[in-house]
Amino acid sequence: MKNLKKTLLFTSMFVAASAQAEITLNGFASIVAGTTTSSDEALYGFENDFDFSQGSLLALQASSDLGEGFSVTAQILSRGAEDWDTNFEWAYVAYEANDNLRILAGRQRVPFYMFSDFLDVSYAYAWITPPTGVYDLVFDTFDGLGAIYNTSVGEFDTTLHLVYGGNNSELAIGEGSDAEFKNLAGAALTVTRDWLTLRAAYLQTELNVPVDALVPLINGWRSTPFPGVADDLETSKDIGSFIELGFQLDFENIIVVGEFTQLTLDDMPFSDDDSFYVMAGYRFDNMLAHITYGEDENSKDRITDGVPVGVGLDALIDPTNAFTDSQISESNYVTLGLRWDFHDSAALKFEYTSYSDDLNSNNDAGLFRTALVTVF
Amino acid sequence: MKIIKVVLLTSLFSFPSLVFADVAVIVNASNTATISDSDISRLFLGKLKAFPDGDKAAAVNSKFGSATRNEFEKKILKKSSSQVKAYWSKLIFSGKGKPPKELGSDNDILALVASDPAIISYIDAASVDSTVKVIKTF
Repeated sequence: MKNLKKTLLFTSMFVAASAQAEITLNGFASIVAGTTTSSDEALYGFENDFDFSQGSLLALQASSDLGEGFSVTAQILSRGAEDWDTNFEWAYVAYEANDNLRILAGRQRVPFYMFSDFLDVSYAYAWITPPTGVYDLVFDTFDGLGAIYNTSVGEFDTTLHLVYGGNNSELAIGEGSDAEFKNLAGAALTVTRDWLTLRAAYLQTELNVPVDALVPLINGWRSTPFPGVADDLETSKDIGSFIELGFQLDFENIIVVGEFTQLTLDDMPFSDDDSFYVMAGYRFDNMLAHITYGEDENSKDRITDGVPVGVGLDALIDPTNAFTDSQISESNYVTLGLRWDFHDSAALKFEYTSYSDDLNSNNDAGLFRTALVTVF
Repeated sequence: MKIIKVVLLTSLFSFPSLVFADVAVIVNASNTATISDSDISRLFLGKLKAFPDGDKAAAVNSKFGSATRNEFEKKILKKSSSQVKAYWSKLIFSGKGKPPKELGSDNDILALVASDPAIISYIDAASVDSTVKVIKTF
C-alpha cells in the first residue's frame, strides 16, 4: 500500500512537471552476487550460498528545470536486501542562487563521507561498495536544507557543503526502537587541485534512540543512589558527533584514496567508533586493479565505573556492563578487487575481502563478490 | 620487396592519423579570452562556468562515443570515456551538476559556436572554417 502510494505520488510528480518542463531521466543499477568462502562464515549480510539480492539495487532519477534557477529532483531506489522495497533516497527542490551557490531543500544525502553523495552509484568508484568498516553509520539521508558553495582560488576548486535538518526514518537499532535524529548540522569542505583532493567533515546531531530492552535496567538504576547510570543508559536528547578526514590522489594510472572517521557518542550506551581505510589502485587498459586495507575499532568505557562494587547492585551492574561490553569490537580487513570497464556504460567488478575479528577469531570470514554495475 | 616494406611502413604511420584526426578546440570569433589547457579541462568538467576574462561560458560536447570526443577526453581531460562518465555520474546523482550538452555533428557545433559567444567546443580540425576561432589544435 505504502509502495503504491509512493508510486502514484512519483507518477503525479512526473505528470505535473511534464506539463511545463522537460524531464531528464537517469538511473543506475548494481547486480551483486556474493558468497562467503566457508560454510560457517557470514560477512556484510552475505552467507555461504551465492546470494544475488543482498547487494543489488536499482535507482531512477527524474529531474526537471523549472526556470529562474529552480529545479526539482527525485531519486527512487530499490534494494534487494530490503525485498526491493522502494524508497525516496533524494527528493528536493534546488535553487541555483548564482554560479557559486546552490541551495537544496528536501530529502538529500548527509555529507558524512567522501563518497556519500554517490554512495549507491557503484559505477562512480572502484569498489562494489565503499569499505563497510568506515561506511557504517545507521543512516545516510536527511530531510532539511543544504547549501553547496563552490569557489576557485587559483587552480584550487573548493566546495563547502553545509547541512541542517533531521532524520525520522524507522531504523532498526535494537528491537522495537524508533530512532530519531534532530538538529543534525554540519559542514564538509572539499579542496581539489588537478590530481589532489582533500576533504574534511564535521557533523553533529541530537539522538533520541529508545531501546526497549534497556527500559527495565533504566528503571532499576533510577531507584538507586546512582541515577546517573540511568541517564547514560538512556539515549534522549544526547549529542553525537562525527569527524571525517579524507584524501584522494588520482594520477593517470595510479589512484590512492584514504579516509579516517571518528564517531563520538557520549552519555549514551553506544560505542564510539574509529575507522580508517587506505586504497591503492592501478589502471591499465580498461581495467582497474585495487587493494584496500582498513581497521575498525568500537570502544566503550563501562558506564558503571563510578558505582562501588559490593553494594548489592550486581544484578544491575552485570547486565549493564554486558550491554556496553557487547559493542566493543576490533577488526581489520583486506580487499582485493578488479574493475573492468567492458562497455561504454557498464562495468564488471570482482572483489575478495578477508575480514579478521581481533577479539574473536570465530568471526573471521572471507567474502567473494562480483557485480555488474551501470549508469543510464 | 622493398616497395612492400615502404607501403607497409607508410600504412602503419598513416593508420593512426586516419583514426585520430586532429581535434580543434573552438570558440566564437569574438572571444578574446586567453584560455589555458587547464581552463579548457575545467570548463568541460563543470568546474569553471566563465572564461578567464569573466564572460559566461558553456561547454558543448560532441556525441558520446565519437572519435573526436574520445580523443578530446583522452588528451585534454586526461581521462578515458568511462572515467568521464563516472565523473559525471557523481554529480548527476547528487544534484551537483549536469554534463555539457551534446551535439550530433561538427556542422551543428560550428553553427552554434559561430552564433553564441558563450560556447566552447571541439571538432575535427578538418571541419574548421572562418566562422569560428581555434584556440588549440592537438
